[in-house]
Amino acid sequence: MIAGLTSGEWAVIGLSVKVGAVAVIGAMPLAFALAWILSRKRFPGKVLLDALVHLPLVVPPVVTGWLLLLTFGANGPVGRWLAEWFGISLVFRWTGAALAAAVMALPLMVRAIRLSFDSVDRRLEGAARTLGAGRWRTFAQITLPLALPGVAAGAVLGLARSIGEFGATITFVSNIPGETRTIPLAIYTALQSPDGGASVTRLAIASVLLSLAALLVSEWLVRKGAGR
Amino acid sequence: MIDIDIEVRRAERRIALSLAAEGGLTALFGPSGAGKTSLLDAVAGLVTPERGHIAIGDAVLFDSASGINLPPEQRGCGYVFQESRLFPHLTVAGNLMFGTNRADQGYRWLEPAEAIEFLGISHLLDRRPATLSGGEAQRVAIGRALLSNPRILLLDEPLSFLDASRRNEVMQVIERIRDELALPILYVTHDRVEVERLADRVVDIA
Amino acid sequence: MRRLFALAAIVAVALAAFALLRGPAPQQGPVVLAASSMQDALNDAADAWAAQRSPRPVLSFAGTPALARQIEQGSPADIFISADEAWMNELARKGLIDVRSRADIAGNALVIVAAADSPANLPAMDRASLGAALCGGRLALADPDGVPAGRYARQALITADQWGWIRRQLAPTANVRAALALVIAKEAPLGVVYASDASAAKGRVRIVHTFPAGGHAPIRYPAALLNRSQNADARDFLQFLRSGAGQAILRRHGFTTP
Repeated sequence: MIAGLTSGEWAVIGLSVKVGAVAVIGAMPLAFALAWILSRKRFPGKVLLDALVHLPLVVPPVVTGWLLLLTFGANGPVGRWLAEWFGISLVFRWTGAALAAAVMALPLMVRAIRLSFDSVDRRLEGAARTLGAGRWRTFAQITLPLALPGVAAGAVLGLARSIGEFGATITFVSNIPGETRTIPLAIYTALQSPDGGASVTRLAIASVLLSLAALLVSEWLVRKGAGR
Repeated sequence: MIDIDIEVRRAERRIALSLAAEGGLTALFGPSGAGKTSLLDAVAGLVTPERGHIAIGDAVLFDSASGINLPPEQRGCGYVFQESRLFPHLTVAGNLMFGTNRADQGYRWLEPAEAIEFLGISHLLDRRPATLSGGEAQRVAIGRALLSNPRILLLDEPLSFLDASRRNEVMQVIERIRDELALPILYVTHDRVEVERLADRVVDIA
Repeated sequence: MRRLFALAAIVAVALAAFALLRGPAPQQGPVVLAASSMQDALNDAADAWAAQRSPRPVLSFAGTPALARQIEQGSPADIFISADEAWMNELARKGLIDVRSRADIAGNALVIVAAADSPANLPAMDRASLGAALCGGRLALADPDGVPAGRYARQALITADQWGWIRRQLAPTANVRAALALVIAKEAPLGVVYASDASAAKGRVRIVHTFPAGGHAPIRYPAALLNRSQNADARDFLQFLRSGAGQAILRRHGFTTP
């Protein structure tokens, strides 16, 4: 089965992994910060922030993709600014696909990381403070190492979600072979032609295997963390 | 030397402590649920009293009148918790040494090697907290608190999760600290036996 | 918790039983699966037909291949209107359509559009003019690797001798209406769409080039009854589409007579 993939299909898989990896790495700082704020801080409007973070989970992906197009497209406010000041163009590029994937993966990552912050015993942080560790040292030496398995699990979950992202991607960056045609888009394309069935099967299996591997790693990391 | 006069709010109740002492082991005695832990938390800076004044030696840790409220890491309170609260991701050695780089104070009671000897835990140094027995964990917790060079040692019912033989072994350690080091101790308990054996004075918390 | 679950299960079963046992549902209109380029025209036609008799047909639009796959998988529809011959032939080969009912109901032309207020122009169909009009941007079109509109576009561009270079400057979309949307949103300076789509977006796009009909396979919309159809009104609606009244509606939306 592995040997049966064409070079074009390998290219699609490679692109998917690249887009997914960039999406997760790009989203991680924001997901981390949001998870921390939602886990530890109390402020007016917290419920609203929580809802906003979860929006990509419940809004139809095509809508998310369209909003990305309006904002980050060549004519969108942010897109224009990026092009003028940094020469960066996202629409119709793999970087745009990564952005779409990152937006869709963000809620899952925030949830997983927040759960791991929640599960760190606050009393351990209190103990560290009495031993002379200030807030930063407590975070770096106590909270973070204990939350790390959950953070890693969140990253892997985000990767799995990114690899499977379709609706927002095709709406925002369209279906350009070699640039934005990730696995789900390639499967969709193959479905369009009457004799694309074999390719669909191969890519579907590859996609399932990738996602399964990611989910298993994520589960293992969570258990490893819980075992402490 | 110890000058504490505070009122702490816990749920709907107010718990007060008024204490002036010259060192030694002071027992805070009262039934379970009376809020004694909250008092220790207040001294350590984990909880802020409604009003009052905490001073150990010449250091003012808290004073509601003048707005002084030092964060826990600046108070120098070595806190031994009921459930030991050892850091699960560090070895025993890592736990012991966690507080040792606290710069200030000439409150260096023991060198690490001495403390390890004192507490009889030299064979445990590379172990993880999850593998320790209750008595061993509490001894490590005491060692960790001692090695952070505290002004005062706070013990919150340290024997309550231990069985009889372990209780004895830890009580002996506490007696040695009380007798050999000039470190003031606040000791919370609901057990008369502990009070009679360990305390230099008793404050009743109702 | 368990009691809540049990209660929910009972309610669900009761609702299902109620729905099943309620008796025959009121007659609904014929279910029509049609290519997305037919959207506005068919909606008007359905309204016109329903004005004389109820109930109104149920219309579902998507890219032709997606609809064909749904029919292959047993989707309970009555009529299929395809944007090209190939997919209708495929379904015929699988014995899924009533071949005697099959006929073309419309034709279409292929055009290049730009946003209405854009200055783009195509004085000639050559690389210099196209390149200038695109100005570094991409040509939006339905995916040539599948959707009929995309295949026609590729054929037309090959005939015009532009495919070789422009194939690297494309923005392929899921269906032809999405390509139109990209042009309207000004994310793509030009787009290849049907004349009927340009007509639907009159005022927001303008046609800058019409591909000669000989440069691509004839664009035909075959329509047929599905063999599994049990709806008595389906045949009637199909005939309406072929009648003078139906054809007038289609022409009004930019389609040509077949």
